[in-house]
Amino acid sequence: MDRRHFVAGSAAAAAALTVRPSFGQDAYPSHAITFINPFPPGGAADVVGRPLTAALEPIIKQPCVIETKAGAAGQVGGQVAASAKPDGYTLLIHIVSISGFAEVDKLFGRTPKFTRADFIPIARLTAGPMVLVVNDQQPYKNIKELVEDAKKNPDKLIFSSSGLYGALHLPTALFMKAAGIKMKHLPTNGGGPALTAILGNNAQVLVSSIAAASAQVKAGKLKALACFGNKRAAAMPDVPTLKESGYDVEFSLWVGVFAPKGTPAPIVKTLGDNIKKAADTDQFKTAIKNLGDEVAYLDSAGFAKFWDEDAKRVEAAVQSIGRVQG
Amino acid sequence: MEATLLSLAHGFSVALQPDNLWYAFLGCLVGTLVGVLPGIGPLSGISILLPVTFGLNATQAVIMLAGIYYGSQYGGSTTSILMRIPGEAASVITCIDGNAMARRGRAGAALCIAAVGSFVAGTFGLLMLTVIAPPLATIALRFGPPEYTALLVLGLIFLAYMSSTSLVRTLLMACLGLVFGMIGIDNMTGHFRYSFDLAELGDGIGIVPVAVGLFGLGEILATPSKHVTGEVISPKFREMLPTRQEWREAIWPIGRGSLLGFLIGIIPGSAHIISSFLSYALEKRISKHPEKFGKGAVAGVAGPESANNGASTGAFVPMLSLGIPTGPITAVLIGALMIHGVPAGPQLVSDHRDLFWGFVASMYVGNVMLLALNLPMVGLFVSVLRIPYAYLYPLIIMFCIVGVYEVNHSIVDVWIMLIMGLIGYALRKFSFDPAPLVLGLVIAPIFEQSLRQSLIMSNGNYFIFFDRPIALGLMLVCAILLGLSALSFVLKRKDWRDRLAKVEAGEG
Repeated sequence: MDRRHFVAGSAAAAAALTVRPSFGQDAYPSHAITFINPFPPGGAADVVGRPLTAALEPIIKQPCVIETKAGAAGQVGGQVAASAKPDGYTLLIHIVSISGFAEVDKLFGRTPKFTRADFIPIARLTAGPMVLVVNDQQPYKNIKELVEDAKKNPDKLIFSSSGLYGALHLPTALFMKAAGIKMKHLPTNGGGPALTAILGNNAQVLVSSIAAASAQVKAGKLKALACFGNKRAAAMPDVPTLKESGYDVEFSLWVGVFAPKGTPAPIVKTLGDNIKKAADTDQFKTAIKNLGDEVAYLDSAGFAKFWDEDAKRVEAAVQSIGRVQG
Repeated sequence: MEATLLSLAHGFSVALQPDNLWYAFLGCLVGTLVGVLPGIGPLSGISILLPVTFGLNATQAVIMLAGIYYGSQYGGSTTSILMRIPGEAASVITCIDGNAMARRGRAGAALCIAAVGSFVAGTFGLLMLTVIAPPLATIALRFGPPEYTALLVLGLIFLAYMSSTSLVRTLLMACLGLVFGMIGIDNMTGHFRYSFDLAELGDGIGIVPVAVGLFGLGEILATPSKHVTGEVISPKFREMLPTRQEWREAIWPIGRGSLLGFLIGIIPGSAHIISSFLSYALEKRISKHPEKFGKGAVAGVAGPESANNGASTGAFVPMLSLGIPTGPITAVLIGALMIHGVPAGPQLVSDHRDLFWGFVASMYVGNVMLLALNLPMVGLFVSVLRIPYAYLYPLIIMFCIVGVYEVNHSIVDVWIMLIMGLIGYALRKFSFDPAPLVLGLVIAPIFEQSLRQSLIMSNGNYFIFFDRPIALGLMLVCAILLGLSALSFVLKRKDWRDRLAKVEAGEG
């Protein structure tokens, strides 16, 4: 290859490279779509995301890849997605705790890495109420007994969580505030360790997703005392809601898909339509049902409305926890 | 016992069905590749292949996915031995003596011993899992924060025996590791520590970038300043097998490593990394020739490589008998079971007998497959060493960078690795041993968290470490170890300055 050929070839290659994006805009999607999972594999975003991308690929006719960018309780992945090019090829799968980061940063006087305004909600996929469980060594038969005992002996009971200001800590804080009780916090670094702590009686109380706790409840190792939904959960029809028991608290662990702010409206619509079809497949529904969760699809507009309300709950929970003195 | 054997026989009838055998083989094959290639770890390997299993039944899915997990523990030592790059975090310690063996032309022997040790530990762990899983799992649950703290104190005391250099140098490196381990979010208060506004540093510094930088890159950077002959080691096939003497030196470390690894593996947490370090320290402590460690001691490969495989089998005990994940990988496996409609919990054994025993039996089969897969590949891997340094080293640097990036898809990790490479170079030049630094980094966050969790549980009362039986037992072991070293110190009546000076002189 002589020099002239080389130059011509490089120029052609460069031209091809620069032309491609405008080409792509005509027919979205023209190549693989990346879904960022901001948690370690095995978390809620991952186990919901895998069946979703598997169902979405044949519908959208492009590969859908989950890229794990775990770190700082979901903050690293959120930041990456917020600063990604808003072209519809980088999306984010996140959970209820996404609303809390900015509030926590405010609490500590830090500049938030991202806020809710950095994202366009595309679809909510699942939402399952949380459930309050105690281990089998506790005498409480219902939530009232627990509250009475905790009132008499403040800071005697210990609750575990997946981490400070995390998805398991926030509902516990809301419940303690509503019931006017105090319990000690044992933060761990994940849902698994939090469950291990309560099973080994190193903690006595845990607010967990139904999916993570149900097998232990069935085996009698844990007792479910209250559920955080606005109605009883299908998987645990005998467990009363907190509202029935007189505590005005509602909290669900939801998983949704987001796009970075600035993504063109037609792309948001295409994505929304196709994700709706994927969420409607039997394949996806069966996988979610097996996880003990409920498909609770909301489209972009419905999800945006829900998210505004839900964020208020999360922000209230962060404020009721406040800054922790170490 | 008889019931167990009958159930196991039933399990083999499930595991030996042709399609189940095929999926076990597939899992083991992928696992071996995942283990050998630096960067792609078992965690990403399993979650990428999870959607592939949606079309299979639950038994096939778990057989295949678990194969990837324990298969990767076999391959993890390969790059440690050949190139001083840890393929997995649990193989960090194998870099030291494994690579030293390779330099003496015993790479084949080291690889064989690692494979056989892994096989023995895996099979031993399975026997224990089959026979005494349920009672053991209950003990594992009692391992709360105070017990963990006590275990890590023991680990820190063992640290002193780890290094091939003097005690002061070891402790200096360990402290540096502990300081690096402080970086990240304070889990108890939410404050960022030394994160310099990088969200990526929120979770602290990863073990893989540090280990790859200190061992792999530091080694390569130091090579040009040494006298390198153009001569390439090309062992004959007969020389690849361990000699009778090497087998003899490996047998007991393999046995001890298997037991130690299994016991530590059943404790929930990231204990399998610690198990390989503890095994190394233990072997060095009881060896008749501790001076050989760091210069290619067989026990320094056999012990830790068995321990990390024993631990990965041990990790299945709480998962299968209680339904609690011991770490991220078992968490993904539990998720995979749930997607297939099998809730992992205390009733798994009784409700899903086929799956449980089929799975256990498939692991026996899988371990045999892995041995058959890995031993013939030893020859292939060793021939990598025939590539001249001028071509091999740039390739290794590329593998280091790609590998470290792949773990978290984080460019910050790559920078950490490059900086650690420079530090590793400096440490080599001043003859410091980087292993205690890595152990310090592993221990610091877990130690801090479990210490503070314990004090939350006890309202700040330190007595909590002495009124719980397991914690008390571990603390007593610590006290005995400290007492013994103090005693030998007094008996020898040797001024420590003399000894240090002697050691330092010996190194220079």
